[in-house]
Amino acid sequence: MLFANSSFGKTLDIIQREMDVSVLRREVIANNIANADTPNFKRSVVNFESQLKRALNSEKPNGNLEAKMTSSRHIPFYRQIDYRTVGPRRVLDYLSTSDNNGNNVDLEQEMMNSLNNQLEYQLLTQALTSQFQRVNLVLK
Amino acid sequence: MGLFTSIDTAGTGLTAQRTRLDVISNNIANVDTTRTPQGGPFVRSRVIFRPRVSEPYWRSPFLPASLDNGIGKGVRVVSIEKDRDAKPKLVWDPTHPDAIKSGPMKGYVEMPNVNIVNEMVDMIDASRAYEANVAVIDGSKSMFLKALQIGG
Repeated sequence: MLFANSSFGKTLDIIQREMDVSVLRREVIANNIANADTPNFKRSVVNFESQLKRALNSEKPNGNLEAKMTSSRHIPFYRQIDYRTVGPRRVLDYLSTSDNNGNNVDLEQEMMNSLNNQLEYQLLTQALTSQFQRVNLVLK
Repeated sequence: MGLFTSIDTAGTGLTAQRTRLDVISNNIANVDTTRTPQGGPFVRSRVIFRPRVSEPYWRSPFLPASLDNGIGKGVRVVSIEKDRDAKPKLVWDPTHPDAIKSGPMKGYVEMPNVNIVNEMVDMIDASRAYEANVAVIDGSKSMFLKALQIGG
């Protein structure tokens, strides 16, 4: 990859991952909405951003004490997480019930999630476009 | 995970809600039907929904993993069943040709067990759910159109 080891490449990579997750989340929301009237259906959610944030925060020096390790089997105090190992996680919300038919899809909430997801995706495409525009600026 | 999976999923929701609306309108149209080929008054129908899943249901016997069947591919109508739980309404009308001719209920007419108020509420529910699915399709469409503009 052309920008493999630059911050530009990393930005592109993170935005691309986030867009993938956005599409996955949209599928899950579409499935929740399609099953808004199905008895005993339980809604799912996709978790990704909090894990990504943890991974990105772990890359910064945060003043933690480094443990001196004399064996490869020692456990470090603090471990850096590679953000590329973080994947989206689909969680079934099987504990709650909001309807008397065992269904827990809240249509209004799902519509909000759907709108959030759509705007988030558009924001990401904008961010990606502006990244490429900067490269164009350099090339000129 | 494809570009159009979310549109397909919302499409199954459209089909299901459309079927439900068809059944509701049939119930409402037959609110006064006292004579059917099967004999007796019209009996209201209801649709039975079930999630459409991409993986089989028997994957694991342990909860909650067995509840998890992949992302899911939307909803499908498994059957349209007659609602025999609600009994037919009895209306006193001895001159009606379908009135009961003998016995203790003589002079009563068996009317369909369709409750207009319930059907109207169901209809609103179905059309709102339909609109929600349409909104998902619209949103997905504008998302993917936006993706086509990347770099432009």
